[in-house]
Amino acid sequence: MLLRRQWPWTQPHWAEASPSLTEGSPYAEAGTCYRPISSLHGHVQVSFLIPECGILSKELKDLVMEFGPYYLVKDLPLYELITHEFINTFVKKGSCYALTYNTNIDEDNTVALLPNGKLILSLDKDTYEETGLQGRPSQYSGRKTMRFIVSIDLMDLSSNLESKKYKRVSWAFREKKPLKFDFLLAWHQTGAEGSMMMSYFSGYGIQEHQPKISLSTTRDLRCPVLQSGRLGGEPEAACSARELFDWLGAVFCHADLNNEPYNFVSTYCCPQPSTVVAQASLCTVTGFILPERICVLLERLCRYFDEPKLAPWVTLSVQGFADSPVSWRENEHGFQKGGEHLYNFVIFNNRDYWLQMAVGANDDCPP
Amino acid sequence: MTSAVYHAFSQKEAKEFDVQQHMGAQRAEAFVRAFLRRSMPRMSQQALEDHLQRKAVVLEYFTHRKQKEKRKKSKGLSAKQRRELRLFDIKPEQQRYSLFLPLHELWKQYIRDLCNGLKPDTQPQMIQAKLLKADLHGAIVSVTKSKCPSYVGVTGILLQETKHVFKIITKEDRLKVIPKQNCVFTVEIDGFISYIYGSKFQLRSSERSAKKFKAKGTIDL
Repeated sequence: MLLRRQWPWTQPHWAEASPSLTEGSPYAEAGTCYRPISSLHGHVQVSFLIPECGILSKELKDLVMEFGPYYLVKDLPLYELITHEFINTFVKKGSCYALTYNTNIDEDNTVALLPNGKLILSLDKDTYEETGLQGRPSQYSGRKTMRFIVSIDLMDLSSNLESKKYKRVSWAFREKKPLKFDFLLAWHQTGAEGSMMMSYFSGYGIQEHQPKISLSTTRDLRCPVLQSGRLGGEPEAACSARELFDWLGAVFCHADLNNEPYNFVSTYCCPQPSTVVAQASLCTVTGFILPERICVLLERLCRYFDEPKLAPWVTLSVQGFADSPVSWRENEHGFQKGGEHLYNFVIFNNRDYWLQMAVGANDDCPP
Repeated sequence: MTSAVYHAFSQKEAKEFDVQQHMGAQRAEAFVRAFLRRSMPRMSQQALEDHLQRKAVVLEYFTHRKQKEKRKKSKGLSAKQRRELRLFDIKPEQQRYSLFLPLHELWKQYIRDLCNGLKPDTQPQMIQAKLLKADLHGAIVSVTKSKCPSYVGVTGILLQETKHVFKIITKEDRLKVIPKQNCVFTVEIDGFISYIYGSKFQLRSSERSAKKFKAKGTIDL
């Protein structure tokens, strides 16, 4: 299909969790759901779809508005991220996320800072040979290694500032090979405001951005019929999880769902059996979003069915950055044809849920 | 042989063969020549003379060759024996960076003389060509790029250069042995920085002065 190429949902490599919910305990549900959220670091897009809902409730809207600012710093030298002050101020207190902006994972040098204090550098061959820090060759490199991964544990470094390791890292970043990147930064701290970042990096031209939110209501949307107990679907009764995944992608792309087989643009059709819902709300948030906020959103969506609703299910999908050097849990991430790594929750009104995780070709299996 | 041809018979022989001997040697010679010319008209004079003379062809020539005295070539020591002799080892008490600083000054002077004075406007190509053949003992070299990250950044005075290895003493008085392969070294003299690609430099310093280096576009480690 011609349209497939534009979707972020192409060629997924599947892993599905079976629904395992105990009845009436939403907190247990939220607890097991946290696992994939917290292990995928740094999200670029969050979307949720609620069928049979014309206007989003005020609570959800407020929650979405509060997804928190993220910051863009241009030309930040890398040694700023290993200074003692930075580690003490941001890394140790709360969770700090950083990612280089506008760098391609398969061409340029990319840096990511994870909340557990690990600084991951994905360097090309020449930079790695000049920097002089110990690393390992990338898994997705091919016969002639062109890509190397260097991992620096900042918590370990900060425990002893006079150690040879810290001196070597500091020398490498300051004198040997000073690298500068545009960084996307976000910091989550329970209870404090985030304006400390603005003041800390004021010398480097830091800009604050709010995530972009787009709300839309679709009329007469054709939705597949799902049964929470049947992942694989049942002919004439319910659609399978895979069909739902494809359908969701089509909806997010605002593609036509009733195409004729001879249509030039797309031949995609909504999977059968399906129903027509009068209206559905679709909300998409784009930006550098923290996993903590997504947890809160998921919790709220789980509580959506506390009151009786027309909708049989709601979905929440989260995508990670295509150019991030790490995927789930510090696994290496590569960009083969489309560097997608994403997960999708489908929450049913009987408190069951489906979790679908998808990765691209140059990735390890998600946990 | 000519004498044997024209030799007169003795009296006894003359009687035996019934030959009269009145002819002198010259007349005999002339007679023989005329006779041969008449009997073999096709042969040239020279060929006739050769036949008469009966030159023998030497097939083998044996002489007792003088016994050349065998030159006692000194075999030299093998690498193992050389290492055992420890000629090139530097004792730990002599391994001090400050001791080798005068050597570095000497080297700087030598390079300046070699390049006829290092002015800021000197051609870098000329310095490059001279450095390729120059001796580097006493230079301050540092490793800028290497396939092994732990070698990067090692700086010190070059003490010894062998075929595959640089022996360097660092400021912390440690003797480091750096293999040349897969490393890029930096040599700095009076503001001119040169990069030496170790993979192409794997020669003894004595042999390097005679080697011609080919120019290559880019060199990847």
